[in-house]
Amino acid sequence: MILNTGRTIPQGNSVEYKPSPEYGAETSRAFLAPLDLMDLGIEDGDRIRISCGDRSVVLTVSAGDHVPPGTLFVPYGAHANHVVPAATHGTGMPDFKGISVDVEPATDPVRSVWDLMEDLGGRRY
Amino acid sequence: MIVRDVICPFCACLCDDLDVHVEDGRVTGVDNACDLGSHKFMTDHRMKGPVRRTASGWEEIPLEEAIRETAELLEAAERPLLYGWSGTCGEAQSAGVHLAELVGGVIDATTSVCHGPSILAIQEVGHPGCTLGQVKNRADVVVYWGCNPQHAHPRHLSRYTTYADGFFVRNAFKERKVIVADIRGTDSTNLADEFIRLQPGGDYAVLGALRAIVRGKGDVVPPEVAGVSREQLYRIADLCKTAKYGAFFFGMGLTQTAGKYKNIRNAIELVDELSRHTKWTLTPMRGHFNVYGFNEVCTWMTGYPYAVDFARGMAFYNPGETTAVDILARKECDMCLVVASDPAAHFPAEAVEHLASIPVVQLDPFPNLTTAFARIQIPVAVSGIDADGTAYRMDGVPLRLHRVLDRGYPDDAGILLEITRRITGGGSR
Ligand code: SF4
Repeated sequence: MILNTGRTIPQGNSVEYKPSPEYGAETSRAFLAPLDLMDLGIEDGDRIRISCGDRSVVLTVSAGDHVPPGTLFVPYGAHANHVVPAATHGTGMPDFKGISVDVEPATDPVRSVWDLMEDLGGRRY
Repeated sequence: MIVRDVICPFCACLCDDLDVHVEDGRVTGVDNACDLGSHKFMTDHRMKGPVRRTASGWEEIPLEEAIRETAELLEAAERPLLYGWSGTCGEAQSAGVHLAELVGGVIDATTSVCHGPSILAIQEVGHPGCTLGQVKNRADVVVYWGCNPQHAHPRHLSRYTTYADGFFVRNAFKERKVIVADIRGTDSTNLADEFIRLQPGGDYAVLGALRAIVRGKGDVVPPEVAGVSREQLYRIADLCKTAKYGAFFFGMGLTQTAGKYKNIRNAIELVDELSRHTKWTLTPMRGHFNVYGFNEVCTWMTGYPYAVDFARGMAFYNPGETTAVDILARKECDMCLVVASDPAAHFPAEAVEHLASIPVVQLDPFPNLTTAFARIQIPVAVSGIDADGTAYRMDGVPLRLHRVLDRGYPDDAGILLEITRRITGGGSR
């Protein structure tokens, strides 16, 4: 499927305080077309794992009528960036939209933003 | 106390009509701001004082020591990266550019991951821009392409377009036509007179088809282009050509998709084509409140708008090489000073990982995800709330932000000057 990321009001509201649970809850949501949920055999509120290369992240699914089938929309933030490749094709700008990812149902919990930072070698504050 | 006509330091609309209620050194209410703006004034999650990472946790340190250690780290580094800058004022940005030159580092702003590609396109074919006042008073057709102003710039429509009556557009809601192009339905596409629903990655082709129609070569356009019917394309071309004044706004839907700056070049050339029939202008929907300011400041100081490398003792600019994501992903920098931004939240993991293996110092009022990688963080005053300074609106108009209260935090420009003073030993070098 094709991953697109973008800004949303809840993400913007908590952007000045990213360690907050609201920020992590918003950036770990994935919006998919209802038809794609049926194909994956999952429901609103279930979890999926999206992978790109050797990186993957677990997200909570929301059904979104506005999302074109075959694509998923994830609010811009640490969760989506866990799988976005760093290549910028000589422009300085990575592909934050139109990324080809594998999607599968998952039962693992959604990790907090601090967990993700610790996976990358950081330390929670 | 109510402070009137305050400028909002959240997004690059820089709304200048806020009334801020202040009591006992705290903001207790904000009138006229959108949700995003009010939240920025009301949040109270600031870090208390400078902290340093220890083997098992964090310790508080005096400001003096934090500044000294930062100066030492910058001086010892061979290839420091000075990154961020969009959430602070011109004064700090200017001090940052001087500091980067002094230590022979690379300075880059969040521009490289938002409208960097727009600047690359503008450098190729120019910028047919205008102020937002022109749009409000004149534009009878407005395009929002690949952006969702209802979520990212919530008052853009009420201050400048759909709901803003102007001198020549007396009843904006009725007289202004709004065209929105996006790959998905959003709160902004719901308000559109014409919603161009594109297939993901179809922007370049659809802009190209519109150019062809406006130029009178519509016969080359197939019945459908990236999910958009030829009939709709003709309708839109006609609407744009017969406008008295058209304004084209665009966002990350164009800059972050495949094609990057070529998408924007195509949009500029469409505006150019339309301007052979009537008057059209184009404005990037800049995100952070002063990201445009960094491009202005850096350009008048170095000749280049962002991604400037001083390693050769002169300014060298090559986006894709001297941009922050590339430098981090190549594991090239050996120290990073982050000012007023949060690369750990906004960069791909592969770039963030390198921050864990080098010393990072962050100047930011709030703990954020980059704090997780910081050796030292110095909390500073928030520009426009407890610090004064100059910021540039998305149309390039500089506005003076005034503090509404004093919380006793140092401002980042002062800290950067102090770091510089320590490195030069007080004199100029
Ligand atoms: S639109 Fe932007 S500048 Fe205006 S109040 Fe909202 S966040 Fe602040």
